[in-house]
Amino acid sequence: MIVSNTAPGFTEGLSPWLSDLRAEVESHPGVNHLLLSRLATGRYTKSDYQVFGLQHYPMVGNFTRYMELLLLRAPSSEQKLWLAKVLVDEYGEGSDGDDHATLYLDYLHKLGMPEGLEHTTALVPEVWEFIGVHLRLCREEPFLVGLGALGPGHEWAIPKMFHQIIPGLERAGVSYDDRMYFDLHTEQDIEHASWMAQALEQLGTNEEARAQVRRGALLSLGTRFRFWTGVERHIVARRQPTSIEAVRRGLIGRRRPENIRSGGDLGQLRAAVENTLVGRPWPVPLPSDKVLLEVAP
Amino acid sequence: MRILLVQPAPFEGGRIGLENVLWLSEPAALTAVAAMIGDEHEVRILDMRLEEADQLPRVLATFRPELVGVTCMTTDAYQAQAILHCARSTLGGGVFTVLGGHHPTLCPEEHDLPEIDAIVLGEGEDTFRELVLHLSEGGDRERLDHIDGLAFRRGQERVTTAKRSQARQLDEFPAPARHLLGDYRSEYFFASAAGMVSIQTSRGCAFDCNFCAIWEFYERKVRFLSAKGIADRMEESEEKFVFFLDDNFLTRPQRLVELCDEIERRKIKKYWLIQGRTDFVVENPELVRRMRDCGLMMVLSGYETNDEGTLDALRKDNTRANNLAAAAMLNDLSIMTTGIFMAHPDFEPEDFDALYAAINEMKITIPLVVIHMPLPGTQSYRENRDQLLTEDARMFDLLHAVTPTRLPRAEFYQHYARWNDATMSATDRSLSWRFLARRPRMILALRRGLKTFAKRRDILRATLRDPETYLRDEEQILHDRPLSRSSSRQTDLVAS
Repeated sequence: MIVSNTAPGFTEGLSPWLSDLRAEVESHPGVNHLLLSRLATGRYTKSDYQVFGLQHYPMVGNFTRYMELLLLRAPSSEQKLWLAKVLVDEYGEGSDGDDHATLYLDYLHKLGMPEGLEHTTALVPEVWEFIGVHLRLCREEPFLVGLGALGPGHEWAIPKMFHQIIPGLERAGVSYDDRMYFDLHTEQDIEHASWMAQALEQLGTNEEARAQVRRGALLSLGTRFRFWTGVERHIVARRQPTSIEAVRRGLIGRRRPENIRSGGDLGQLRAAVENTLVGRPWPVPLPSDKVLLEVAP
Repeated sequence: MRILLVQPAPFEGGRIGLENVLWLSEPAALTAVAAMIGDEHEVRILDMRLEEADQLPRVLATFRPELVGVTCMTTDAYQAQAILHCARSTLGGGVFTVLGGHHPTLCPEEHDLPEIDAIVLGEGEDTFRELVLHLSEGGDRERLDHIDGLAFRRGQERVTTAKRSQARQLDEFPAPARHLLGDYRSEYFFASAAGMVSIQTSRGCAFDCNFCAIWEFYERKVRFLSAKGIADRMEESEEKFVFFLDDNFLTRPQRLVELCDEIERRKIKKYWLIQGRTDFVVENPELVRRMRDCGLMMVLSGYETNDEGTLDALRKDNTRANNLAAAAMLNDLSIMTTGIFMAHPDFEPEDFDALYAAINEMKITIPLVVIHMPLPGTQSYRENRDQLLTEDARMFDLLHAVTPTRLPRAEFYQHYARWNDATMSATDRSLSWRFLARRPRMILALRRGLKTFAKRRDILRATLRDPETYLRDEEQILHDRPLSRSSSRQTDLVAS
């Protein structure tokens, strides 16, 4: 299924800068990674989706954390309210009280994932990067950069990305009930995006504010782009473990050998998040802003 | 118009197959259609076999093409679809998406998707040129009826236009737009022959093997580029090595005599690699010797089998005696041989042993053992479709058994996975000191790519010698019995 770049109805009434930003988000490589198109058109199996899901799960579990961090820094009550509305949904309202991480875990079990595997699975470096970058954006950057990352960078991007994932899940035999996490996000996030848009309309009163929102969105999408690349390699690596080594060593294709590293599994990731919140440094190097912004030059 | 032409990778990024490890030829279909377009258009070629997957959306987002064209065979069919999906997803409805190549021509119904606006059926040059002209002049994208050789959508309706004639002689086509390959050009190779130009000098095949679709695609006709035309293209290229893409270069002896005349007259010093039949080699020893003197370096042939009966069953119209004699002759002439052999799904362990022994006996320089399968578009496919265990295009890569095996699958792959190690002595025996000493300049030219090739080959071997590679690839994709007998194609999946 193709989602139009101009999402009918949604951009109506948006000011020009937000419409432009919306178009930029929807055509960003992070929202249109080839893996997503492969999922939309190709023949991936439940095992492949399980490999993908085990890497995606930690990101799902941390979204509310970013929101909480940003909520604390919102400069006015009105802005806190907008964020709180989204946060309440993320906590589980609208999905029978199950928070999104629980829904996602349920989905993984429906794919056939053995109990507890999410704790012992090594996470690809790009998952660590994604979470590290978002914690930084929501804690250290100006509030509007964080809002750009979570608003346009997430709420505008996710419905389009998930629309591409759902047809592949259908083909793999995953029912609506079992993949509810994805379908809900194509519905709920449109509402979230709308609330966020209202907030952004009010806050983007000058060039500097608008630039901060845009910067946050592009940094978020840049790290999302790298995440898809990492996940795709991981899916291939399950079936052909030796071939990824060839790619990393630069023997196949033209990419230069990379030197990025993972910080470990879910338990280690959770500990790292907690440590970061009390001021300790993120344990793996993060990509520079320049690298993330170059994704969509 | 801004036009992006994309050559898909056969697999997702990082997956290994024979193509990106043992050889990689230029995207000749794309340079051929690009040459038909006027200079007023801005054309770019993206070779996804050499790029990471993430490069495509970046190029789409920055170049913002108005037309995206992709070519594909069978194994890369899904990748081609994904590329066009990505183009539509990134650029919206404004971009026109078009697909061409063998698989879409032979199975257009499999590509009837919303993200594909049109399919070029058959030979693409003129169809593509007319399509670009129509669109660049602002023509209605649903009014393409006047362009022959096209399938397109008009609302919910699927329209197929009149058949495109394949009457144009190859000398009438412009030279491929190789300049669009940019710095990719240094990255095409065959084994250690790196820095290699790919030239197509004929289309079609006069034979009608039942496992091959070439002769059907080209409607049983064969058309040739003249010897002068071939020599022109060899001269125009800077590369030291030339790969002739023809499915059967060894035909029409007179043209090859003329080619040797041209090469000698123009003093072209290049090494060339060809695909051709063993019977021609045996029947034309003096010509082959002369071709060697003019730079012929390697002959890739479908030896297929060590068994006479199987050759007949494949309608190969050749003999085992020819295979043996040709291999010996080429070795004597210090021309490398690449031999393709087929392991059949009904093989028992002793059949594998016999095949590997035969390959060693023939001293094939680069033996390749693939799995016999009914490829889409072939006679064999039509006859054996009810035996298929999957219709997943990725499995038709000649490395998986898509029909039932006589041995349990794990055991079948255990024996199949031995081929690389079991036939290594063929290479050693072929590349004797005598062989090498006769062609020192050629060996010197090959030296440059030897190190990289050795590394790639080691990784390929590590992948292919592991039987689990094939079983993991098939997991949840293969049915446990032929599709025609399955109660449902969505169920009964085998977790190997």
